[in-house]
Amino acid sequence: MKELAGRLTALDPDAGAAVRVIAYFDRLAEHRAGLEALVRGVAVLAGCPARLTDAGRRVHLRVETDGRRRDADQPPDPAWPSAALSPDGAPALWLERAEAPSVVDAVILERAAAAIRGVLDRTRGRAPTAPDDDPALVETLLDATAPEQVRLHAARRLGLDPAAPAHAIAPLDGPPRILAAAALREPVPVGGRLSAPEEPARAKPAAADAGSATTALPSGRVGVGPAVPVLELPGSWAAARTALRFTADGTPHAPGPRVVYADELGGIGLLAELVVPGADPPPDVQALEAAVADAPWMLTTLHAVACTASLRSAAVEINVHHSTLQDRLGHAEALLGWPVRTPQGRLRLQLALTVRHLGRA
Amino acid sequence: MTLTPPPFDPELAAVLEMIKETLPPKLTMDEIEATRNGPGIEMLADMDLTLGGAFEVEDRIVPGPENAPDISLLICRPVAPATDGPLPVIYHVHGGGMVLGNNRVGVDAPLRWAKELGAVVVSVEYRLAPENPYPAPIDDVYAGLLWTADHAAEIGADAERIVIAGASAGGGLAAALALLLRDRKGPQPVGQLLMCPMLDDRNDTPSVHQMEGLGVWDRTANDTGWTALLGEQRGGPDVSPYAAPARADDLTGLPPAFLDVGSAETFRDEVVAYATRLWHAGGVAELHVWPGGFHGFDGFAPQAVLSQACQTAQLSWLRRLLAE
Repeated sequence: MKELAGRLTALDPDAGAAVRVIAYFDRLAEHRAGLEALVRGVAVLAGCPARLTDAGRRVHLRVETDGRRRDADQPPDPAWPSAALSPDGAPALWLERAEAPSVVDAVILERAAAAIRGVLDRTRGRAPTAPDDDPALVETLLDATAPEQVRLHAARRLGLDPAAPAHAIAPLDGPPRILAAAALREPVPVGGRLSAPEEPARAKPAAADAGSATTALPSGRVGVGPAVPVLELPGSWAAARTALRFTADGTPHAPGPRVVYADELGGIGLLAELVVPGADPPPDVQALEAAVADAPWMLTTLHAVACTASLRSAAVEINVHHSTLQDRLGHAEALLGWPVRTPQGRLRLQLALTVRHLGRA
Repeated sequence: MTLTPPPFDPELAAVLEMIKETLPPKLTMDEIEATRNGPGIEMLADMDLTLGGAFEVEDRIVPGPENAPDISLLICRPVAPATDGPLPVIYHVHGGGMVLGNNRVGVDAPLRWAKELGAVVVSVEYRLAPENPYPAPIDDVYAGLLWTADHAAEIGADAERIVIAGASAGGGLAAALALLLRDRKGPQPVGQLLMCPMLDDRNDTPSVHQMEGLGVWDRTANDTGWTALLGEQRGGPDVSPYAAPARADDLTGLPPAFLDVGSAETFRDEVVAYATRLWHAGGVAELHVWPGGFHGFDGFAPQAVLSQACQTAQLSWLRRLLAE
């Protein structure tokens, strides 16, 4: 068949080969061929190994060009040509090949994916529900008291690969979410995440992940727990809720990052345990409240100083002249009772701002 | 009995879909010439005969039958055999319904076995019908076998360990060759490997009628092939077993046989019948009927899962046959 397909392709322009490919997969589907026959067709017709990965339905299948099945341990290379099984789905069918797909390859992937979707729906039930469609499953997965088997089942129902790490996500408004780690970029080096712009660098659109239909962070304020094996998600969830307390709307009245990653908080995260919202604030926070009440620019100005690398960049951030900033800071220091332009004073300011924020959350 | 045909295996049905234009099920006398020169045969014959450098390949012209032209043998010898000393031989007879093909067609299967087993492959070119009716094809096949046995040492082979093998018409010719060698006391092959062999000129079994117009090589094509070989004799009372082995009354004293066939093909019933008669005659035979297989499926679609099972069975039989 390989020789055959190759010859046919050679004898034919792409269009002719494409027509035959379509006929081939249509006929397989018509005869209710199984997954392996479909993936074998992909490998043989494309002339390179092919694999199918659908974590949600526990399908992992790899066939080489000689038609023999040889499954692999390594995950697919995101650079390989691939096709999803549903319009918004993650890539599931792969050609193990570095080159860009030819016209015929694209037809092979598309037709085979459609046929595979039919088989999976017929034999293994509907595609997994998107996490945000099934709060009950998410809740189960985040419940440390639920039996492990139940949580693993919930993970698979949500389209998560039990072997791949995932984040618990705590949005301010809305139910908890779970996001496969592969759907987020690698963490940026530890640094000024707290002054990050609204759109966090780490969130990105659909990426190769374990089949989760949710591949982007929800909008608004979001705490992101660390990436952990699915059975450890209750811990990630606790960390995500902590991280959520450090988020802010990013407005002049509430400056700060909308998205906070728990694994980037470091020691600052410990403050969340110490500060009880609504309790009497410590003296530095009381001083800070008094200063904020004194001038409309006070909060954004102090926040800029606390969260940027230099006074010059702080001035740029709040769009004032450098000398204006110096004047403002002189005024602020008089109200606060400590310098904010020394390293120690800046740390004290950062802590005061953070404790104030946590106390209001 | 119903005429509803057994369904094709899903994967094989899809392959048929791809090749139906190149190899339509029907073949008439008028289409022979065009089919010989068409892409189908070229496709089946176009391969790397060295199997990636494992074999050295030679075309040897050797004497043909008495008062007949020389014949050509394709001789493929392992470049680096694992054992010293003479190697077993797979003497291959190509298929093509007695009217098509050349000694390259289908030789990839014996080459794969030979690579596994460390054997020499000899594939014989024989004259085709209708230009050369019976007995020309079998005479050439017989002459090639005699040359191979006589010159075994020359090609690093062991005349005592020749397996004769063929698919389709080649399977029929290999079965006929076994009968001839028995009757003429010629060199005795150690086994006969008959893949979907074409055995019965009467073209009238239930499977022939069931599969009409379907798959590869249907009743019409079969009629064309046998008529090309036998002319008006086809189906009559006087057909020689050396033309159509199903006509043999006596199947005793034959080498161990391996027979395979698809359940969804013209030759199913005649192959099953031949195997049954070999057992009736006290012979040694192994029979595989592959469900949903069309004629020659393992050659057309070697990667299909049914073909893999079929190849495994062939190789397993050869291993047991040639085990020392």
